[in-house]
Amino acid sequence: MSLAATYRLGTRLFWRDRSMVFASVVTPVGLAVGLPALMRHVTSGGVAGATALAQSAIAILLAITAFMNITVALTGRRDQLVLKRLRTTRLTDGQLLLGQIASTATQTVVLIVACAVAVRFAAGVPLPADPLVFAAATIAGSVVLSLLGAAYTAAVPRAELAAAYTMPVFLLCGVSAGAMGPIPLPGWLQTALDLLPTSAVVHAVRTGDLAVPLLVLAVWGAAGLVALRLWFRWEPRRS
Amino acid sequence: MTAIDVRGLRKSHQEFEAVRGISFEVPEGEVFALLGRNGAGKTTTVEVLAGLQRADGGTVRVLGLDPYADRAAVRRRTGIMLQEAGFFPDLTVAQTVDTWRDFTAAPRPREEALELAGLTGRSGTKVRQLSGGEKRRLDLALALLGRPDVLFLDEPTTGMDPQARAATWEVIRDLAGRGTTVLLTTHYLEEAQRLAGSMAIMDEGRIVAAGGMAETLAARSGRVAFRLPPATDPAALPLPVTVENGLAVCRAEDPDLAAQRLLTWAAERGLRLEGLEVRTATLEDLFLDTSPKVAR
Ligand SMILES: Nc1ncnc2c1ncn2[C@@H]1O[C@H](COP(=O)(O)OP(=O)(O)O)[C@@H](O)[C@H]1O
Ligand SMILES: [Mg+2]
Repeated sequence: MSLAATYRLGTRLFWRDRSMVFASVVTPVGLAVGLPALMRHVTSGGVAGATALAQSAIAILLAITAFMNITVALTGRRDQLVLKRLRTTRLTDGQLLLGQIASTATQTVVLIVACAVAVRFAAGVPLPADPLVFAAATIAGSVVLSLLGAAYTAAVPRAELAAAYTMPVFLLCGVSAGAMGPIPLPGWLQTALDLLPTSAVVHAVRTGDLAVPLLVLAVWGAAGLVALRLWFRWEPRRS
Repeated sequence: MTAIDVRGLRKSHQEFEAVRGISFEVPEGEVFALLGRNGAGKTTTVEVLAGLQRADGGTVRVLGLDPYADRAAVRRRTGIMLQEAGFFPDLTVAQTVDTWRDFTAAPRPREEALELAGLTGRSGTKVRQLSGGEKRRLDLALALLGRPDVLFLDEPTTGMDPQARAATWEVIRDLAGRGTTVLLTTHYLEEAQRLAGSMAIMDEGRIVAAGGMAETLAARSGRVAFRLPPATDPAALPLPVTVENGLAVCRAEDPDLAAQRLLTWAAERGLRLEGLEVRTATLEDLFLDTSPKVAR
C-alpha cells in the first residue's frame, strides 16, 4: 500500500513534467519508430533490416526512458530536498526507491510495447514471435535499468549534470545493441558490450533465448541493489 | 514517562564534530526548546532524533525506541518539520497535502490540516507561488497530518510574519495542551520563553545552559543602552549597569520598565539619556556579552 503511494507519486510527477515527457517519451519513441520506418521505406534494408533496427532500438528506450529518466528525476528531487522530506514520512527508504523504480519501469514497458505495435504498422515489422519471451525480457530489462539509474545518481554530483552524465551510458548501450547502425568493433569489445543489460534484452528479443540474458540481468540487478545500499545519497552534498 | 531521552549524543559531519556530547530529557506532553545560534548543532540533533542521521556516540531514544534502528516504528508516531526541505513546486497546496496524506496512516482530513496551518484560502495556489512564510505553514500542515505523539520543529517560525508566528505559537500550544510532546529549536529567545516548559541553550555542539539556568539567562535578555551622562557615577544609577566606552548597558527581564525607571531618575536630576536604545536582546547578544554568565 505504501509502495503503491510512491508508485502513484512517481507516475503523477512523470506525466506532469513536460520537458521530461519530451526527453524520455517523445525523443526515444521517435527514434525507435522513425529509424525502422526510414530503413524500410528509404533504404534497401527491407523488412529484415527494419526488424533488426526495431529490436536494437529497445536499447535506446531502456537507456533513455528507464535509466536517464530515473537518474534525472531522483537527482532533481535529491537536490531540491524533496527526498529528504519524503524520508520524514512513514515510508521506508526501500519503499521510496522501489515505488519509483516500479513506476519508471512500468512507463518503459508501456513505451516498448507501444513501439513494437507502431513499427508493425509504420515499417511492417512483425510482432514478437514469442510474446512471453518478449514480455519477460522487456519487463526484467526495464526494472534492472531503472534500478541501475537510481544507483547511478550517486555518481552525479549535481542535478543539472544528470542528463549529461547519462549520455555516455546511452551511447554505449545504443552502439553495442547496433541501434546506431553497423559500427565495426573489435571482437573482444563486442563481447564485452554484449554483457550490457540493454544488449541482453535485445539479444533475448532477437533470438528468443532467455536463459543467458536473464542471468546477465540478474547480475546487473544484484550489482545495482548493492550500489544503492552502499552509495545512494538522500541529500545533496554540502561543500 | 520520558518521550525523548538523549544521553551523551555525539555526531560529526566528516571531520567536524557538530554535536559534542549533549544530554537532555523531555517528559511526555512537554514543550522543550533547544536554543542556539546558527551552527550550534540544533539541526543535527533534531535529524538524529528523527532517525535521518545515525548518532556517532551516546544513546538516543524517542518513545523508548532507537529512532535510527526502529525508524519505521518511530516515524509512525512522530511528525517532523525540517529546517529545510523541498516541495514539488508545480503541485498546488491541496495536491501537496493530498500527496502526503497518501503517505500517512489515518491522516487528518485535508481541510483540517489546512485550517490548522491557516492555509485554507490558499489551497488552489501552486507551491512555487507561496511566500516563504506560507511554505513554512505548509511544512507545519504536513508535519501534523499523522496526528503525531511527538513533534520535532526545527526553527518553525523562521520567515513568518508576526501574525503567522503568533498563530503558529497558538497551534503549538494547543497541541501541547492535548498531550503532544514538542521539541522545537529556535534562535528567538521570545519563542522559547513563550512556548517551552523547559529549555536548553546550545553552543558549538554543547549544552551551555539548561533548565532554570537557561530561563534565568533568557529572562535577563532585555537590554537598555544609553550614553552615560558626563560626570555620572554608574553606581548612582537606580539599576545595575555595565559601562564600556561611555556606553551604559542595563540587562533586565522587562527592558521597557527598566527604561522608564532610568528616564524618571534622569528627569528628576535634569539629565538626558542620550542614544537611548531599548530592545529584547537576541541570543547573539547573550553570547557576545562579556560577563562570564555562560559557563563553558
Ligand atoms: N551535512 C553536513 N556536512 C558538513 N557540515 C555540516 C553538515 N551539517 C551541519 N554541518 C555543520 O555542523 C554545524 C552544526 O550545524 P547545524 O546542526 O545545522 O546547526 P544549527 O541547526 O544549530 O544551525 C555547523 O557548523 C554546520 O556547518
Ligand atoms: Mg539549524
